[in-house]
Amino acid sequence: MKGRTRNILRVSIIVTIGLLIGITVWFNLTSGTKAVEVGDKAVDFRLTTLEGEEIQLSELTEEKGVILNFWGTWCKPCREEMPDMNDVYTEGHDDYEIVAVNVAENEQQIRQFISGLDADLEFPIALDRSKSVTDAYNIGPLPTTIAVNKEGIVVKKQEYQLTHDDITAFISESTE
Amino acid sequence: MELKEIKCESCGHVNPPGTQLCQSCGNMINSDYDKNKIKDLMRYDGSAVRSKTRSKSIFDKIWIFFTSVKIGVSIILAIAVAAAIGTIFPQEYFIPLGVDPAEYYQENYGTLGYLYYSLGFHNLYSSWWFLVLNGLLALSIIAASIDRGIPLFKSLNKQRVKKHDSFFRRQRLFLNTERPADTSSLIDAFSKKRYKVRKEGDNYLLEKGRLSRYGPYINHTGLIILLFGSMLRFFPGMYVDEIVHINEGETEELPTTEGQYFVRNEAFTLDTYDEEAGEVFDQALSNNRMVISNFQTDITFYKNNSADIVGSSPDLEEIDEYSIRVNHPYRFGDYELYQSSYDNSQLKSMTFRLEDENGNTVGDNFTVNLNDPEESFEVADGVSVNMRAYSPDFLEIDDNGTLVSATPVPRNPAFVFEVADGEESELSLLQIMNSTDITQDNDYSIRFVEAEEHMASVLTLKKDLTIPFIATGFIIFLIGLFTGSYINHRRIWIRTDGNLLLAAHTNKNYFGMKREINEVLESNGLEAVNDKLDDGDKDKNKE
Repeated sequence: MKGRTRNILRVSIIVTIGLLIGITVWFNLTSGTKAVEVGDKAVDFRLTTLEGEEIQLSELTEEKGVILNFWGTWCKPCREEMPDMNDVYTEGHDDYEIVAVNVAENEQQIRQFISGLDADLEFPIALDRSKSVTDAYNIGPLPTTIAVNKEGIVVKKQEYQLTHDDITAFISESTE
Repeated sequence: MELKEIKCESCGHVNPPGTQLCQSCGNMINSDYDKNKIKDLMRYDGSAVRSKTRSKSIFDKIWIFFTSVKIGVSIILAIAVAAAIGTIFPQEYFIPLGVDPAEYYQENYGTLGYLYYSLGFHNLYSSWWFLVLNGLLALSIIAASIDRGIPLFKSLNKQRVKKHDSFFRRQRLFLNTERPADTSSLIDAFSKKRYKVRKEGDNYLLEKGRLSRYGPYINHTGLIILLFGSMLRFFPGMYVDEIVHINEGETEELPTTEGQYFVRNEAFTLDTYDEEAGEVFDQALSNNRMVISNFQTDITFYKNNSADIVGSSPDLEEIDEYSIRVNHPYRFGDYELYQSSYDNSQLKSMTFRLEDENGNTVGDNFTVNLNDPEESFEVADGVSVNMRAYSPDFLEIDDNGTLVSATPVPRNPAFVFEVADGEESELSLLQIMNSTDITQDNDYSIRFVEAEEHMASVLTLKKDLTIPFIATGFIIFLIGLFTGSYINHRRIWIRTDGNLLLAAHTNKNYFGMKREINEVLESNGLEAVNDKLDDGDKDKNKE
């Protein structure tokens, strides 16, 4: 074997193994479903609401910014932020829509929760009974709120209770 | 160490730098090597181990670093030690599901546990540094093999028949005797022992089992394929090992199939051995109360024809029915669905009965389905029980009178029931352990009768496209091991121009070779070979 062949062999083996190690480590570190982050494209979904209507995210974002609020009746901060969201929503929602995605609870629980509130919730409550949307967004703690703009891009995300100011911030981000 | 090419003083052949024995005639080039090192010299047939010759670029330096056997052994040792440490505390997949591993290791194993977790030992086989170690092992194996294998191959491939006198004398098995009249019968006798004969004038080279020398390299090839296969496991789509939890009567999507496949758990069966049945398990049966003879899940397998948008209801087409038992998985595509375990810890429904003030049961029992409870139950004519509130995991009663649940899981269900018999209605709060009247002086009371649990089958979804690589790697590895261990590379050099000079070398089992040669020599009326180890210090005889 001539010196040149030898060098080519050495360099290519070292580079190949280096690359393979790099790729494997990269695959390893990025494995597992990644949480949806700001800047990502929002996963389109279609769910049935408590009122029995079908809603699809991509249809909503054609005209309006959308705020997705993942919640459960058993989660205290969720219960507390609901009336606040409702107050803001009833003041007018021409340019945005709130969709409260309930995570895998039955209708009895949701209705029971709503009946305990002072006012009816005006925004649609989508039922994610099989958790497929929650899994697709890889939602961790509840509540998690995500703002999606008209281009279908996630523009804001919060994994704790919304204050009144947070809600208006989400609305303005989603409608920009 | 010489860095220039070496011209043999004896025959004039030009050898690559670092050569120990002349490639042409076998004369010793570096006379510093004393006789104790003959074995080392002959391991690579006296050729230059490449990396020991020159170092230039950064790649050469990396290469030379990894050709070192010391480095290779250190890497193997590091992998072994890491794997051993990985068994001190449980791996992450053995800790309870849903627990935050950071807290779990800290709480259960203290500071050591925290270190264990932060260094990635909790997921040892996929920690980045373990992957890197394995990659470096691969590099070490490849570099060391090329570095030694290629020169060895070359020197074995172009070895000359004619060897220098000193080469003869240096071999362990050596004979210098009077030349017999008929040397060809001697050669023929060796030939019958399946030696390949090469002749050059009065010089003969008899050789067999050369493949033995390549055993380690075959072995290493197998290891590399094996490492490659285990690397592929980390590539998306190559390896799947997921748990699927399906309640009896429910349909679940199979993970990693992009919503394409669904499975319905028609029925889960758990059979136990009858204590009276036979003698085989008598002892086990008397020790344990229950020995399971069969886990079985009857499934219906569906394909989703409308795998479009997340959350939309699937359009399922029934494809197949199957009974999954232990070791009898359901196979589809590259996937296998195994019976793994079962879970009956989740409450499914609770049954109650209504009692009047005298303790007599009123009407029929009623059952509340905890997953999707009905609101009203007609227990007898004119008497109904309405469920006013339900909390799956009762925590407290809220300010506005609603029941607050800690989690959505029915662990500690609580209900507010209203009993209406047409005249008046009474309210009571029922928890598993106690019941409280809400309205005053209740006539009726509701008693808990029984609870039913969900029977969930736990299946494991597996896919492993790396098996062909790993199996091939193992087979080649074993072939290499066999070649290197059970085949002996035997060479005999014979020169007949003066006396009969005979020298022999083997890479293992000198005893066997000596016996083989002596048998041939004896049948040709010649004396036995001298074994230097026998002649020399017999105390140190190792063979």
